Amino acid sequence: MDQGGSIDIVKRNGRRETESFDRKKLHDSILAACLSAQTAQGHAESIARKVTEEVIDWLKTRPEVTSHDLRRVAVRHLKNHHPDAAYLYEQHRITL
Amino acid sequence: MDIPSSLAIVTLAALIHASFQLSVSVLTLLSGHAIGAKHSQAKVLRLTFGFVSGVGVMTLLALSFISLVVLHLFGHETPQLIWAITCGLLVGVGLAVWFFYYRKDRGTTLWIPRSMARHLSERSKATKHSAEAFSLGLTSVLSEFLFIAAPMIITALVLVQLPGMWQLIGIAIYSVISLLTLFSVWVLIGSGHKLSEIQKWREANKHFLQFAAGGALIILGFFVYVCKILTDVTGAL
Repeated sequence: MDQGGSIDIVKRNGRRETESFDRKKLHDSILAACLSAQTAQGHAESIARKVTEEVIDWLKTRPEVTSHDLRRVAVRHLKNHHPDAAYLYEQHRITL
Repeated sequence: MDIPSSLAIVTLAALIHASFQLSVSVLTLLSGHAIGAKHSQAKVLRLTFGFVSGVGVMTLLALSFISLVVLHLFGHETPQLIWAITCGLLVGVGLAVWFFYYRKDRGTTLWIPRSMARHLSERSKATKHSAEAFSLGLTSVLSEFLFIAAPMIITALVLVQLPGMWQLIGIAIYSVISLLTLFSVWVLIGSGHKLSEIQKWREANKHFLQFAAGGALIILGFFVYVCKILTDVTGAL
């Protein structure tokens, strides 16, 4: 399984240290959004897996992306599977 | 000022306080993280109740503290100048709420320092125990003090001129009413409503809430000005 390990994620437009892409971190954040949208555990895990794969496919041609882009693409794919979870995932950073 | 007018001012000030959204945002984030972390519904309810209790206690303490300071500084008869300054503060904060309360981004991002917003957001994610949720509630009241200070100060000015028993009743009325929004959201979360629906409602109605809070602050400022300053001045003539 592709871990997308060699891709650098630029955090907050370079204001925070760049870090390597972490597949588990992305998977867990999507899973948390699905669970917050009251999705059953199995279904939530399946959506998180699919969306993570789709994001990794998008990442393959890019050596470096911003965390904002990563989030935007994850939201776009998550919307196809679970609009409510995508909404919560998107809103997380713009609630406060 | 008579007791019914005083309690009417306290009630309106508490409703304005209740319409401010920072604590509701933190409660939404906290419950989202708790549900996302696969906590049981009982644990989610305990955490969110801890948060609501923290907000309630800090509101009670802050109002009592401001009242005590006002009482020590001015006694039971606050000078007209202080009333006038506070009325000006209410109108000023009302205008500030109209123009600055929400940032121009999507979502419900508020005009509070970003470092403070990040701290609250990170703490809501890290909160695992009711005691932490309680302290997060205490902190969130302090974070929105910029906006709630004006309704609290006017409430304190009104309360210190009342007899002792009515002061306690006034503080209780203010604390309970100011918690109504938060309590309603807590009940919605507890009864299984979707967080996405709650957040969508808040986002869709944010400009109405902003207009209502700002407008109510300005109305309260004018009401107190007429009720306390103009009445006293015309009564003295």
